Amino acid sequence: MRAIKTLRRFSQGFFLFLFFYLFLQTESKGYDELGYPVKVFLDFDPLIFLSTLLSSKTVLKLFYLSLIIILITFFLGRVFCGWICPFGTLNNLLSLFKKKEAYRFKRFQMKYYILFFLLSASLFTLQLSGLMDPISLLIRSMTVSIYPAFNYTVRSIFDFLYSLDIRIIREVSEPVYSILKSSILSFEQTFYKQSLFIGSLFILIIGFNFYERRFWCRYLCPLGALLGLFSRYSLLKRTVSESCNSCGVCERNCPSGAINKSKNWLKTECFQCFNCDDLCSQKAVLAGFKREKKEISFNFTRRKVIISLSTGILAVPIVRVNPFSKEEFLNPRLIRPPGSLEEKEFLRRCIRCGECMKVCITNGLQPAFLEGGLEALWTPVLVPKIGYCEYRCTLCGQVCPTGAIKRLSVEEKAKIKIGLAMIDKGRCLPYAHGRPCIVCEEVCPTPKKAIWFERVIVKDRDGRQKELYQPHVDLELCIGCGICEAKCPVIDKPAIYVTSIGESRSKVNQILLP
Amino acid sequence: MKRRDFLKLTIYGLVGLSINDVIAIVNTKELPELVVVEGPSHSKITEEAIDALGGIRRFISKGDVVVVKPNMAWDRRPEQAANTNPEVVQTVVRLCYEAGAKKVKVFDRTVNDPRRSYVQSGIMEAVKKVGGEVSYVDDRKFKEVTINGEVLKAWPLYIEALEADKLINIPIAKHHSLAKLTMAMKNWMGIMGGSRSQIHQKLNESLADLAIVIKPTLTILDATRILIRNGPQGGDLEDVRVLNTVIAGIDQVAVDSFGATLFGMRGEDLGYVRIAHMRGLGNMDLSKIRIKRIRLQ
Repeated sequence: MRAIKTLRRFSQGFFLFLFFYLFLQTESKGYDELGYPVKVFLDFDPLIFLSTLLSSKTVLKLFYLSLIIILITFFLGRVFCGWICPFGTLNNLLSLFKKKEAYRFKRFQMKYYILFFLLSASLFTLQLSGLMDPISLLIRSMTVSIYPAFNYTVRSIFDFLYSLDIRIIREVSEPVYSILKSSILSFEQTFYKQSLFIGSLFILIIGFNFYERRFWCRYLCPLGALLGLFSRYSLLKRTVSESCNSCGVCERNCPSGAINKSKNWLKTECFQCFNCDDLCSQKAVLAGFKREKKEISFNFTRRKVIISLSTGILAVPIVRVNPFSKEEFLNPRLIRPPGSLEEKEFLRRCIRCGECMKVCITNGLQPAFLEGGLEALWTPVLVPKIGYCEYRCTLCGQVCPTGAIKRLSVEEKAKIKIGLAMIDKGRCLPYAHGRPCIVCEEVCPTPKKAIWFERVIVKDRDGRQKELYQPHVDLELCIGCGICEAKCPVIDKPAIYVTSIGESRSKVNQILLP
Repeated sequence: MKRRDFLKLTIYGLVGLSINDVIAIVNTKELPELVVVEGPSHSKITEEAIDALGGIRRFISKGDVVVVKPNMAWDRRPEQAANTNPEVVQTVVRLCYEAGAKKVKVFDRTVNDPRRSYVQSGIMEAVKKVGGEVSYVDDRKFKEVTINGEVLKAWPLYIEALEADKLINIPIAKHHSLAKLTMAMKNWMGIMGGSRSQIHQKLNESLADLAIVIKPTLTILDATRILIRNGPQGGDLEDVRVLNTVIAGIDQVAVDSFGATLFGMRGEDLGYVRIAHMRGLGNMDLSKIRIKRIRLQ
């Protein structure tokens, strides 16, 4: 059955390629619409669908796509893990460096307990599944750490070659560089807070493959566990005929660790890779739709199921008894992307996949650390000093898989405030230092500018009179985009800055009379 | 023909310029210094303006690498009059190629995101259609240039603009709260590197300083649509006036001085125009400039 194995490899390659292709397309080309269904892997993800359903009691718009995966799993088992999942394929590739030997860790239950923990927390409104969902984890790690690091490396090399200022080298390196720039490099070098933390976790996880092949898929992946549950009654079965001589080649080569002593088969663990079938010298492995009850169905210990479920429930109050749960306890710098839902609902939906951070045109959307409490770890926050919110850009809402950031038209977005700008008169040039400067007003994007000037006459140290324009913020017009902060010439600590007050999504965080 | 002109003709003939070039040189004395063309077709008025100045071959020679610098610094649509009219830019690029230019490069160091600014302004598409090379500004390609101006002693400027054989400036006429108006001279901020927002502290002097080192071959002021309030990026069509006009000239101070009149001002009302005039970098006195007005149907 070599044909099936070839077919599987082709499928894995195709989906991995598709994943990275869509990842690279998660970037503005200057048009209003992104034009690619970049979040499609997340749309097909049953764990995202189910946990969002539980945590926010809403059905995702494209939920039916994930039903396709569930349906496939019902009939064929975990083919998603073996044939489709890009993170699975990545783990698979790294596993190739590991000597093939029978599995030793043997704690398959772990991932189920992780799943139960995540789902029970979801049911009680704490949405943590995206932290460990493999698609979400892969996109986030790529966005925040791996891809920027890759870019940095390539750009450094070409910058170095350019800096040599040798004509022959430049004539070769520059065309190559421009091809790379228009294909696999990002438009500009991006920078992310948390890149070391998120990147290290990612490297640790894929590093487990050197301890045991596909460690993540076998023991940790909550999506794999969910599909394992669905595959419990699947129709495709592995049976072993009498001719088996218990050579153990199938067990050693099984990437999922689903084979025990050649003949026993853990159905819920099997990736349906067909390696065993391919390698069996006796042609003793048979796969087919049979009604035999040969396979071992997986047994959880009741105690551990209860523990994992109740830990998930307990996590909710423990995470929530934190001042950030109080409505009036606000972090002024917790500026959410435009179209974000009210904070509580936002956190129930956001899976921290990092799509919005990848697509953000100015690199301003950054993963939070503790700015909004532990519950908001790695959720998107606008940091205007890194990048402001581009007035007519609506890409973050276009790529959000769960609607935590609403999809907005350019016209709708123009009416949404994400915060308000305030002037630091102690640092602002026309206020504190008697020097003209109008940059905040010049870049202010609202059609009627939210920054206006008061004409004043000031005196310099010699008593000479001088005419100046001092900026003021019109709180009615300001939308908090932060371009003023990003472009303020007082660059270390801008003399105008945005805080979250006035954000449209909040009833409490307001300054003006309604 | 005077003897001097005859000698000139002979010399240029020997150097090997085409007949058209020679005629252009001979006739410059009679040509207008500033051409103002009004008409409904933005490509036709642009072409007419250049023709009336002596034709594109007066400015562009065969094999030239030309840099055309529009204002496309903002994420705005053409009708919002924050960026140069794409049709005007396209016409100039096309004419340069017709005159035998080897390459016509178009770029701007934008204020908003470069991708959105290039696309939404409509300029990238329009220029590419006629074969122009549109590129994003590359941070490595700035070179510290000695200016020795009143304010700017040295500043990083874009190498591609400095190294071009010919430099054509195509600004749009707009309101600006500090400069009052932004037109030709201020458009050169688009090739400045570094922290250019600092120059607003002494904007007028700085812009005049820039004019010491940046000497455009030709300036075409786009006044097909002008922005009279909330500049330089506008956004409200109420603030746009459709004038269907372009102004072409070699002296950018004169061009800006004329541009001021479109807004009911005079050249001397603009600090940078006044300073540049006083320093002899150009002439803002419109009464002493040969201006030709043309109206096309």
